[in-house]
Amino acid sequence: MIDDDPQSEPPIIIAKGMRKMYGPHLALDDINLEIPRGAVGILGPNGAGKSTLFKCLLGLITTTSGEGSVLGYDIRTQGEQIRSKIGYMPEYNSLDPNLFAVDQVRYAGELLGMNPKNATQRAHEVLEYVGLKDQRYRKIETFSTGMLQATKLACALVHDPDILICDEPTNGLDQRAREFMLQTLNRTVREGNRSVLMSSHVMDDVQDLCDSIVMIHKGKIVIQSSIEDLVEQVDKEIEMVIWGGASKMERELSSLGLETRRLGRVIRIKVENDSTIDKALEAAVSAGVQVRQMKEYEPDLEDVFLLVMDKLGAQIKGTGDLMTAGHTGGV
Amino acid sequence: MEAAFGSGDGDEEATAVVAKSKASLGQIFEQTYRPWDGELGPRWMRNYAIFRHHVYGVFTSKGHRQYHPMVRLLILIIFLASLTPIPMLFLSSFIGDDGGFFEKMWGINRYNLWGQVLGYFPRNLCMWPLLTAVVVGGMISDDRQHGTSAIYFSRPISRLDYTSMKYLSVAIILGFVIVFSYFAYYTSAIVFKAEGWAYLADTLPIFLGGMLAGSILVITYTSIGLALSSISQSRFFAAIGFLSIIYGTKLVSLLVELQFGTTVMYATSPYDCLAHTGQFLLGIPSNYEHPVSISVVSLMAMNSISIWLLVSRVTSLEVTRE
Repeated sequence: MIDDDPQSEPPIIIAKGMRKMYGPHLALDDINLEIPRGAVGILGPNGAGKSTLFKCLLGLITTTSGEGSVLGYDIRTQGEQIRSKIGYMPEYNSLDPNLFAVDQVRYAGELLGMNPKNATQRAHEVLEYVGLKDQRYRKIETFSTGMLQATKLACALVHDPDILICDEPTNGLDQRAREFMLQTLNRTVREGNRSVLMSSHVMDDVQDLCDSIVMIHKGKIVIQSSIEDLVEQVDKEIEMVIWGGASKMERELSSLGLETRRLGRVIRIKVENDSTIDKALEAAVSAGVQVRQMKEYEPDLEDVFLLVMDKLGAQIKGTGDLMTAGHTGGV
Repeated sequence: MEAAFGSGDGDEEATAVVAKSKASLGQIFEQTYRPWDGELGPRWMRNYAIFRHHVYGVFTSKGHRQYHPMVRLLILIIFLASLTPIPMLFLSSFIGDDGGFFEKMWGINRYNLWGQVLGYFPRNLCMWPLLTAVVVGGMISDDRQHGTSAIYFSRPISRLDYTSMKYLSVAIILGFVIVFSYFAYYTSAIVFKAEGWAYLADTLPIFLGGMLAGSILVITYTSIGLALSSISQSRFFAAIGFLSIIYGTKLVSLLVELQFGTTVMYATSPYDCLAHTGQFLLGIPSNYEHPVSISVVSLMAMNSISIWLLVSRVTSLEVTRE
């Protein structure tokens, strides 16, 4: 278990003025990062620079300028040492369909320099940990999406890395497998005292697992903060479920000078001051509608994300817009 | 595990739970993070893992790269076929055929040593190109197809290590069949005929010339084959591409020779460049009119271009797909 406050420990990843250019295209622009130990979500629309950031952190590509370190190793010159300490779980399929799961994980360990005996023993342990104990001797080609994701996680965990980089770990998973994946990652952070760097388009997943987030847009870091602090900065709202004239209710609220958002029967009203609730009820009386439900709305990470993207001018109406066919299983 | 990925709904566990009355029905297993504090080995261990994964797969399907059973059968057939002179040598010595038919056909001399490695029929028509095609087929293209390059490059494996170990794996498999069978053939002749030092002194330079020619063949076929494997996601493309290059250039060169009476087009045929160089190394009359230096330069160019292509395509293999 983590006893100390992660914020008091030195950052595990540091980047100072990091830039990466692919020809004339600027992929990362002046990245300044200090990522603490624990679980951190990397958010951003497609093409924002998340993958480029991962590749820079893994020491796979050289930065155009700036500097950075992972676990104290220089990303420009010590990529090999960094990759020995990191477990990387790719977004897309990266498994040999002809191998048994245990052989795939063992081979992943051997590629890190583990001797075959240790790698085999460890492969059994991590496969049990990710929930594939009974499927160890099944060919990967017979696996479901959830099992494939779990096998990729096992490959990343085989050498007990200090940092786990997960690219869309819940991609294509059903609810049960998704919960299990998040529980496993959570346990890795809380019990294993390991750090997880996770990119995801599913804000709920990030909120469930991560303590803080880094948001990237067009190669720039736009937010680097704890989720708790971010959510506090979002305006408070009252959520009302209206029956019998939501449009009329919306007009009444607007006429009273209240700022609203509406989705069908659900209307959210920005809390201006203590009188907002009274005004909302007055509007309901005037409009002659039923208020079936009324509660204080707690903003979540998705609200933060959409708010930030809106301020940055990104044409994103919801996080579903960020998903490709790959994320949704082709749907 | 069962909770997340099992095919049942969990009710079937109820019977087992009865035996352990303290366990709750919903608690299928206890997930515990187990740390590992072992030491990771050096670079050679990582490289050896790649080599072993690809080479052991030829011998056993368990735990290593999967070669299709038909591929493994074909490799075995080609290997056994490449050893056929050995029983003939045994028969020759058994019946005391000194200077007779068997001796001429399979005994050790410049022509037979050249033919063991570089003879067109059946070695370079049927055996070596097919062997190369099936071995290199998915060597790199499979990584591209399945995304398994991420498994390598997200670990402390450099592209140089990856490429060189794949290259070495293919070369060792080809070398085992081509060069080892050649070595076994020569050694068997000495053993079966009970030859002495004088024979050895006479034939060893020729043998070494043939071995060098065989090694160049292995290197050239490996370079071309792996380059083709690296530019595609299909093992079929690499295999067919390789056979097309070997047979196509040979056929076109033959047609040009028949039509125009010049052998210089053979400089474009990997097999003929090897055969020409091999004839020079073993000291037998050349079948080609153009100088051997053209074939040697052509071989160097073919290898250089193939390796350049291989390196540039391996460089483009991604860890993260975008």
